[in-house]
Amino acid sequence: MTQKISRRDMLKLAGLGATTAVLTGCGPASKYVKREPYFSMPEYTYNGESTFYATTCRECAAGCGTVIRTMQGRALKVEGNKNHPLNLGKTCARGQAALEGLYNPDRVTGPLKQGRGNKLSGSAVTWDNAIGTVAEALKNHKPDEIAFLMGLAPDHLFDLASELTGQLGAPAPIRFGALGMFESRATLSRAAEELFGQAAMPFFDLANADVVFSFGANFLETWLSPVAYTRGYSRMRKGKNRRRGYLVQFEARMSQTAAVADEWIPIKPGSEGLVAAAIGKLAAEARGASAGAFKNVDAAAAAKAAGVSLEKLEYLAGLLASAFNPLALAGGAALAQSNGLQTAKSVLALDALLGNIGQPGGVFLSPLAPGQEAYHRPASAQEMGEFVQKINSGAVKVLFIHGVNPAFELPKSFGFIEALKKVETVISFATFPDETALMADYIFPDHHGLESFGYQRVFTGAAESALSGAQPTVTPFHDTRATADVLLAAAAQAGQALPYADEYEFVKSKLRQFVPLSGGFFAAPEINTFMAYFQQYGGWWQTGNALVAPAAANAKLNLAEAEFEEGEFFLVPFVSPTLGEAGANKPWLQEAPDPTTTVMWNTWVEINPETAHELHLENDDIVRIVSAAGEVEAPVYLYPAIRPDTIAIPFGQGHTAYGRYAAGRGVNPADLFGPRVNEAGDLAFAGTKVRVEKAGKYRVLSRLESKIGVYGEGMGEGH
Amino acid sequence: MTTIDLNLVGAKGALVEEAEGKWGMVIDQDICTGCQACVVACAMENNIAFVGEEDSGYGRSMHWIRIERFWEGEYPEVKMTHYQPMLCQQCGKAPCEPVCPAFATVHSQAEKVNLQVYNRCVGTRYCANNCPYQVRSFNWRDYNDDRLDEAIASLKNHFNPDVTVRRRGIMEKCTFCIQRIHKAQDKAKSEGRAVADGEFTTACAQACPADAIVFGRVDDPESLVSQLARQSHGVHHLEELGTLPRVTYLVGGQ
Amino acid sequence: MSEKQQHDHEKHLREEHLMLDPLPRGQMNDMVMESMHTTSWKFWAVFFILSAFVAWGLFYSWGKMILEGLGIAGVNRPSYWGIFLVNTVFWIGISHAGTFISAILRVFKAEFRRPFTRAAELMTTFGLVQAGFSIFMHMGRVWLSYWLFPYPNQRELWPNFHSPLTWDLLAITTYLLSSTMYLFLPLIPDLAMARDKSTGWRKNFYKVLALGFRGTEGEWTHLRHAMNIFAWAIIPVMFSVHTIVSWDFAMATRPGWSSSIFGPYFVIGALHSGMGAVVLVLGVVRGTMKNMKYFIRPEHFDGIGKLMLMISMGWGYFFFNDYLVQWYGGDKWTKQLLHWHEAGPMGWMWFAMLIFNVVIPWAVLWNRKWRSTPWLVGTVGLLINFGMWFERYIIIPISLTINRAPFTWRLYKPGIEIPLSLGTLAFFILLYMAASRLIPLIPVWEVQEGQMAHEFKKFGRETVVTVSELE
Repeated sequence: MTQKISRRDMLKLAGLGATTAVLTGCGPASKYVKREPYFSMPEYTYNGESTFYATTCRECAAGCGTVIRTMQGRALKVEGNKNHPLNLGKTCARGQAALEGLYNPDRVTGPLKQGRGNKLSGSAVTWDNAIGTVAEALKNHKPDEIAFLMGLAPDHLFDLASELTGQLGAPAPIRFGALGMFESRATLSRAAEELFGQAAMPFFDLANADVVFSFGANFLETWLSPVAYTRGYSRMRKGKNRRRGYLVQFEARMSQTAAVADEWIPIKPGSEGLVAAAIGKLAAEARGASAGAFKNVDAAAAAKAAGVSLEKLEYLAGLLASAFNPLALAGGAALAQSNGLQTAKSVLALDALLGNIGQPGGVFLSPLAPGQEAYHRPASAQEMGEFVQKINSGAVKVLFIHGVNPAFELPKSFGFIEALKKVETVISFATFPDETALMADYIFPDHHGLESFGYQRVFTGAAESALSGAQPTVTPFHDTRATADVLLAAAAQAGQALPYADEYEFVKSKLRQFVPLSGGFFAAPEINTFMAYFQQYGGWWQTGNALVAPAAANAKLNLAEAEFEEGEFFLVPFVSPTLGEAGANKPWLQEAPDPTTTVMWNTWVEINPETAHELHLENDDIVRIVSAAGEVEAPVYLYPAIRPDTIAIPFGQGHTAYGRYAAGRGVNPADLFGPRVNEAGDLAFAGTKVRVEKAGKYRVLSRLESKIGVYGEGMGEGH
Repeated sequence: MTTIDLNLVGAKGALVEEAEGKWGMVIDQDICTGCQACVVACAMENNIAFVGEEDSGYGRSMHWIRIERFWEGEYPEVKMTHYQPMLCQQCGKAPCEPVCPAFATVHSQAEKVNLQVYNRCVGTRYCANNCPYQVRSFNWRDYNDDRLDEAIASLKNHFNPDVTVRRRGIMEKCTFCIQRIHKAQDKAKSEGRAVADGEFTTACAQACPADAIVFGRVDDPESLVSQLARQSHGVHHLEELGTLPRVTYLVGGQ
Repeated sequence: MSEKQQHDHEKHLREEHLMLDPLPRGQMNDMVMESMHTTSWKFWAVFFILSAFVAWGLFYSWGKMILEGLGIAGVNRPSYWGIFLVNTVFWIGISHAGTFISAILRVFKAEFRRPFTRAAELMTTFGLVQAGFSIFMHMGRVWLSYWLFPYPNQRELWPNFHSPLTWDLLAITTYLLSSTMYLFLPLIPDLAMARDKSTGWRKNFYKVLALGFRGTEGEWTHLRHAMNIFAWAIIPVMFSVHTIVSWDFAMATRPGWSSSIFGPYFVIGALHSGMGAVVLVLGVVRGTMKNMKYFIRPEHFDGIGKLMLMISMGWGYFFFNDYLVQWYGGDKWTKQLLHWHEAGPMGWMWFAMLIFNVVIPWAVLWNRKWRSTPWLVGTVGLLINFGMWFERYIIIPISLTINRAPFTWRLYKPGIEIPLSLGTLAFFILLYMAASRLIPLIPVWEVQEGQMAHEFKKFGRETVVTVSELE
């Protein structure tokens, strides 16, 4: 596929790729397929025939490749891109519901002078005015008074903003996302740096492991790259040579991941690192090997601290010791502790002890995406805290916000909302009227992800080095404009023009470096053809395994006890597996039952039935959860699989804005988090302790399950 | 195969009882992670209405596929049972078929699946009562009417034009994505060949990140779905009722 | 026995038995006409309240439900059927009393039936009207209900004759038509009587309805033949209707429903509620309408009371039988269901059903004196109707909660069913009230015929009552 091909050949080619895209053209002149009436359809559409466009899912930052089925200019269905190395044609529930974002009735339909109101303002401006406003903001402020706050996706816009700030001499854009916060990505990459000498996102080769110990990593839900890890899990379960993989999950509350695990070990929050160390020591003893970093660990004390029996740990260590491809991974709430970095290191050291670093079924470092020089992690909570302080000091005069909703995602204790008031001009590029957007002076809405060009780097989950491509699958539904285009135009107006005509040209210019490279999924003689293939196949990736096998270094562990706030109960907040961080405005995600509780459309508080009995609480009683930082009220769900000293609340609901399906529904557990961080700078939200008070109110949770059939409610005694 | 041909009395439908199916599905409960991707994919593909908090909490959700789970034991020895995606089992001898007074749920002789004829349904809900799997969902309200909910006007832009939008008062259920079956067959026919195994699949199987759902021809012993279904740990749900389900569940896995 | 004693004895018998207490024909006719024409303001007050109730509860609510969908009712998964079907079965049950009394008792020549056959037959017809309303309310798309009837059409689409619902619909339609005709036939001589005694619009009204009946020998012969044929023919229809209604449940693949005893169990249940309703109606008629104390006497309550006791025992037997067979079957779902009936949140209803259907009738109706007390028997009748409504409620929504998919088990909470149920009840009473003012509620000719057939005869010094066959 290296010869030059014409547009018509291209269409034929598109037909060959069974599910991949027909692309719309090779230049900006035909960037979009218009919604056309039947009598003047584009030449390649036929009545009743679908056209498929490959693009990248933007419901989280993992960068799964999708193929969007469209017909007559409407996006109809999200399907996985079979060629894409990350998700191999699969999608998660959130990706499937992307269409409800695209056609959401509550999108920001055009540029607005928002004026920091409580509701979406009605005062529309023209795009010329909007660009003028951005240009003024760039021109009339000193570079260090300008700040960009961006989400975890899309990467191309982040790159563009980085170039722009570079040109202006302004501080580099800051990236933040609730998933990054809940996953403690800084901790994970820091642990990798300390152990392997390289700050990178570890890659856990689940597919080839046979015994997997997961310390709080909710890899089947929202963790890092859930579709890829679910595929890995599936392969692990099916096993090699019919040897079924065995999964043990250590966490205080049975998550969806723990629910499908073979064993769930409800250890005390904060003791994960200690337990990993003890298991490492016992496993080494069982193998008759040196315990290395764990030689000073007191397994009996660890068992006591974690609230499990020593026999259990010995049995588990035996499992690990006798496994061919043992694997331990850590994530989620386990790392969001004051000792989170030690926990991450302890678990990685366990892997090192088991000898699986760089081995099949073991730990690798995720390959960098094509063209990427170093792993770039999003801002940790500590960095966000510093940024908020900077805003609060009045040093930031103009703030551009894209793809992130810190007013909702960042704990209230960070004071972002108050700090925002000190900024002279806040310009939001939000597609949806979220909490942060409403607090802005202007909203200049970006296209929805399915209407946009761009790319996203696959940062983990795939063995290949991959850049996932995005292209518009439909003509923009509303009067929105690509933020990249707005920034480029405004920069030009402000006399700081970047050398790109528009977003498309920007993306193309970034791809130019790959044209001469070999080993890619496709090759093309020149950039236009390359760009066309990039759109057709939904990205560019190298076909070879690019996982990095690091040299295992012996870690120096300093296993400290986790520090907790004052309070009765441990709090385990978790990201709702169905809603994710930003799914609450999609009605079908609201109506997709939570995998563990089957609750829909609301927030619940999981309490062990024994504890609830002691507190005289029943299902659906509203309780007030009080922490040092704040309080929330939500109905109780008597959850049989949670430690009696722990309560759990899902994150994802509790919006005060964000459209009709999200606003006024449920509560946000982030309101309970204090600003404490761990050594790596990640929020130590799992160190929160709370008090539970009966609010004396009642609200029936919508559940898919039957309380009668599942819990025997109303069946009288003995059932 | 016993066919009671009601064309004798001029009826268009027929009650068919057949041991051999055509399309079938295998669901591996051991690798199902309960992630709901199938549920949402199904909703997006088949224009299924969402019903809101109150109705969904009152047993009125319209899911064509739902993921069941139960609990075993008490804390700390508590265990969640395997996730069990439950959808229309496309019974060979479906209890829903004979009870419909209007022939709105009939057996397709060509595809050997259980059809719901939306525009023939008068809403007696007898079929749903008689379904041992409780997988039929009823349109209790006009959930898809944009005159009642203006939000639908925008959302229905993504409605699949191959699938009828249902109004109030009628029953619906999983169709094994019959629109995809037909599309694949039409394509194969126009190319003068048979539909290949794995050439297309249902929306749920397509989305499933764990590949726990496999769809295909059960009358072809070489197809993936047939091979999986033949495994010793494959079971049919409520087999004792003699409904001849076309969905095989793989349980255990050890 | 002295002359005096003898006289007293005869007097006592006359007081007790309508058949032995004849009045002149003209006077009796006038009494019936008077009862029809005497309408107090209370009647109209009740009439208008009920009309308003029917307008709101039945027609407005139903219209709203047709427009908005069944979502405003309480039906859900798994209780796809709710109070509408409960009411359908209930009203069909009520309707059984009419046929039972006028056909079976007529065939068996039970003489005490004579004054209240019409009251019972009216219940049949009006009850079936409510049953029809209820079953159509139940449908999701009622505007297409004609698809359920086998009418010839170009596309050759027929209803599914495998479906018990199709049988049900045919059975109910047959029953409605035949019971209406059976109501009408014995009405003809009375309509003729009313025609002869009326003026104005009523005269025209009765003239049309009486079909020119003059009372000739030939007309009587034809009428008798027709009634005889209908009386015999409608008995199997009556039994079959409720058996077929029971098949809606018994033919289904559900725990608690697929029971072979359901046919007779439903029939006896129908008679149970029907007799309870008849006795209640008779109590009300006797208490509120003029001249009715002459026609409806304690002896009738006594007679019906005995029947109620028998039927209650029969119902108890079939209930026990059904329970025993299901319990002994040992199916795990059925076991859960039986447990749910008794120990579930609606357990009170299960016990109330047994108390109202068995305990109270057995306690009260053994006693002849109590049995002859109209208000007491009427109250028992009312309670039996509650009990039987509960029975249907337990069989339908409560049993539907438990199926073979425990993940879906869910309790049913009625919504707009409540105004709609009250609306059908109000409509039933309204129709009855209208009928009581439009047609003779007492079959005068039947009473007169009976009185002619009864006489005192003296055998030696003993006076005995004899009955002769009039043909």
